[in-house]
Amino acid sequence: MKSMGKKLSVFVLCSTLLLTACGGGKKEAGQKAGAESNERPTITWLNVLHTASPPTDTILKKLEEKTGTKIQFSWIPDASKEERINTSLASNSLADIVTLTALSNSSVRNALKSGMFWEVESYLNEFPNLAKISEDTRKSAYIGGKLYGIPFQKDLARNGVIIRKDWLDKLNLSVPKTTDELMAVAKAFTEQDPDGNNANDTTGFMDRSDLIYGAFKTLSSYFGTPNHWHVDENGKMTPEFDTEAYIKTMDFMKQAYDNGYMNKDFAVTAKTDQQQNFAQGKAGIYVGALVDAKNLLNMSKGIQDNMELALVNDITSTGNEKDRAIWAANNGIGGLLAFPRSEVKDEAELKQVLKFVNDLMDEDAYRLMTNGIEGVHYSIDADKAVTIIDNTLWQQEVQPFASSRPKENGYGIHSADPLKQQSDKLIQDNAKYAVLNPAYSLESETYNTQGSELQKEITDATYKYILGKADVAAFKESVEKWKKSGGAQIIQEYEEAYRAIHK
Amino acid sequence: MEGSTATQLGAKMDLKAKKRMEKLQKWQGIKRNKLLYLMVLPGFIYFVIFKYLPMGGLVISFQDYQPVLGIAGSEFVGFKHFIRLFTEPTFVLLLRNTLILFAMNIFIFFPLPIILSLMLNEVRHRFLKNAIQTVIYIPHFMSWVIIVSISYVFLTVDGGVLNEMLSSIGLPKISFLTSPEWLRTVYIMQIIWKELGWSTIIYLAAITVVDPQLYEAAEMDGAGRLRKTWHVTLPAIRPVIITLLILKIGSTLDLGFEHMYLLLNSLNREVAEIFDTYIYTAGLKNGQLSFSTTVGLFKGLVGLILVIGSNKLAKKFGEDGVY
Repeated sequence: MKSMGKKLSVFVLCSTLLLTACGGGKKEAGQKAGAESNERPTITWLNVLHTASPPTDTILKKLEEKTGTKIQFSWIPDASKEERINTSLASNSLADIVTLTALSNSSVRNALKSGMFWEVESYLNEFPNLAKISEDTRKSAYIGGKLYGIPFQKDLARNGVIIRKDWLDKLNLSVPKTTDELMAVAKAFTEQDPDGNNANDTTGFMDRSDLIYGAFKTLSSYFGTPNHWHVDENGKMTPEFDTEAYIKTMDFMKQAYDNGYMNKDFAVTAKTDQQQNFAQGKAGIYVGALVDAKNLLNMSKGIQDNMELALVNDITSTGNEKDRAIWAANNGIGGLLAFPRSEVKDEAELKQVLKFVNDLMDEDAYRLMTNGIEGVHYSIDADKAVTIIDNTLWQQEVQPFASSRPKENGYGIHSADPLKQQSDKLIQDNAKYAVLNPAYSLESETYNTQGSELQKEITDATYKYILGKADVAAFKESVEKWKKSGGAQIIQEYEEAYRAIHK
Repeated sequence: MEGSTATQLGAKMDLKAKKRMEKLQKWQGIKRNKLLYLMVLPGFIYFVIFKYLPMGGLVISFQDYQPVLGIAGSEFVGFKHFIRLFTEPTFVLLLRNTLILFAMNIFIFFPLPIILSLMLNEVRHRFLKNAIQTVIYIPHFMSWVIIVSISYVFLTVDGGVLNEMLSSIGLPKISFLTSPEWLRTVYIMQIIWKELGWSTIIYLAAITVVDPQLYEAAEMDGAGRLRKTWHVTLPAIRPVIITLLILKIGSTLDLGFEHMYLLLNSLNREVAEIFDTYIYTAGLKNGQLSFSTTVGLFKGLVGLILVIGSNKLAKKFGEDGVY
C-alpha cells in the first residue's frame, strides 16, 4: 500500500519535472535568440511558396549578408495558402513578416482591420526605397483607408492569348485581331488537323477550371466587361456579371464548348494538366498569363519540338483600337507584406523589419532575388540582358525568392530570351489599356462576411450557362438571387464607400 | 404523532446510514481495485485533455469570434449563427445531400462486405482465399487523392478510358465528372472500390469463431451450403453486424471530407456539397470561424442522436448494442 503511494508520487514528481524541464528549455532557447539578435536581428517570414519545394540555402545566405540579418522562412504552399493563413491568423501563430496575397479574403480583411497588424504609411518615407512607392499604389493597397503593410508591386495586367504560330502558318491563318477571328482560328485548329497526323485529336482552346486566371476573365475584357465592378459618373456600381458584355463572353465560351473547340472537361481541369496538354500539342490556344509562354515552350521540349508561339494582347470584339482593354489583377497589388503586432512588439522592431524590406529592394538584393548569383545561375551582358544558365537550378534555388520580391521590375535588368522579352513588352503594353477594379480598396461589411460565399452562386451559374445546363433566364435568376441574398447590400455599401472618397 | 415522527426520523437516520454505508462500500471497492483504476487513468486523462477540454471551444459558435480578441474578448451573439444556419437555403441542400449519401452508404455499401465475406468463407482452397484477401485489402491503403485521380483518368471526357470505350461502340460520351446525376454513383463506386475488401476483415474474423459443431449438426439435418450460411453463419455474426451498423450510423455525417472535396466542382455542387466540405469552405477558406463551428456542432449533435437512437433500437430487438 505504502509503496504504491510512494511510487505514484515519484511518478507524478517525475512527470512534473519533465514538464518544467521542457518549459525551461523553451525559455532558454528564446533568450538565446534574443541575445544573438543584438548582433544580427533575426527576421521570421511567413511566406507563400509557388514552387514544389522550398529553396536551398544558397541565396538565403547571400541575402542575409546583404541585409545584415538572419532570415527564417516558413513556407506555405500556394495551393493551400488561404486555409493556412486563416489558421495562422486564428491561432495567432504568425511571424515578423507575413505575406498576405488574398486581400479580398474576408478573414484576411477582418484581421487587418481589427488592428492585428501595424499601420505603416507614416514610416515609409524614412526609408529610401519604400518612399518611392507611389501614391497610387499606396491608395490601391488601402484597406478601409489605411495601409497595413508594404504592397507587392506587380505588373498591372499580365494576361493575353498564346497561340501556336506553327499551326497558324500551316493552315495559312494570320494572327487573330478580333474575337471572331479568334473563334475562327479555334475552329480551324479543331477541324483542319493542324498537327498533320490525320487524326481528329486537337482542339482550339485549352482552358482550366478557373474563371479568373483561366480564359474567361481575359476574354471578358475583350468584350468590354468591367473588372469585377463598374462605376458610372453618378457613383452607381454594377457588378460585372450584371452586364451585357459578361453574357456575350459566356456566349463566346459556350460556342467554343458546344462546337468542341475547347477541351470538354475544362471545368475540372487543373492548371498543370492544362499546361501539359498544351505542351503535348492537344490544343493551340492558351488564354492566361503571357509569362506562361516561356514555361509552355520549355515543357514542350522533346514532345512538340516544332512548337512556335505567338503572343497576342490586342484582341477586341469590335476591331477598334479604342476598345482595347485588359483587366488588371488586384489593380497591380500582389498583396501585402504585413507585420503583426504580436511578433513585432514596438516601433523600434517595426523599423528594423521595415529596413529589412527596404534593403530587399536595393539593386544587389534585387538581382540576387531575381536571377540568383552571377556566374552560377545567370550571366549578364553590357545591356543588362540576363541569360539564365540552368533553368532547373534557377527554379530550385531562386524562383521562390523571385516571387517574394516586393517590387517586380527595376534597375533596367531584363531577360535575353526573345520570348520572355516579348511577353515583358506586351505586359508593359497592357498597362496602357488596363481596366481597374473600382471597388478594390473599398469596404463593404456584407462583402467581408458573405462575399466569397455569394460569389460561388455566380461562378456556378456561369459554368452552367457555358455548359448549356442553364439559359439566360436561369443565369439572370442567379444574379437576382445573388442580389437578394446580400448582393444588393454589397452594392449599396460599395456605393456609400465610393461616395465617401469621391465627394 | 410523536411516535410517527420518531419512526420517520429513525427511517431518515436509517436511510442516511445506508447511504453512508453504500458510499463507504463504493470507496472501499475503489480502494480494493485501485490498481485497475490506475490503469484506466492514462486513458481517462487522454480523453479529458484531448476530447473533452477542447469542447470548450464550442463556445465560439455563440460568439462573433475574432482571433485577435480571443474567446474571452469576443462578443456574445447568442443563437445568431444557428438562426443563420437554419434559415439559409444552403441548409436544406446540405442536409439533403448528406442524408442521401448516408442512406447510400448504409443501404448499398454496408451489406456488400457481409456478402463478400460469406462468399470468401465458402472458398475451400486456402491459398486462393488468402491471395484474394490480400489483393482486395490493397485499395484501402491508397489515399483518396490517388483514387480520385485514377477515376479522373478513367472518366474524363477528353480521352478518358471509359468514354473512349463508349464512343468506340457508338454510344455518346458522358461527362461523369461534371454532371450532377453521376456524382453519387461515382462517389459510392469509389467507396466500394476502396473499402470493400478492408471491411470484410471483422466479418471474416467473426466467422472463424463459429462453433464447427453447429455446422456438423446442420449437415446431419441435411442442410446444404446455402442453408448452412443462412441458418448458421449469418445468425452467428449478427451481433457483429449490429455493432458495426451502429458505429457506422454514428459517423453518419462524416462522409469523408477529403473524398468529397476532391469530387466537388462548380457544376455538381448542388448534389456534392455536404456538411464537411461546407465547414471547410466557410470556416477555413472564408474565415467564418464561428459560423462553421455552429455547422460542426449541429453535425455532431445529429450524429449523437442517431447513435443513441439506433443503440436503443438494437436493444429493443434483443441485441447487445455498443454500450
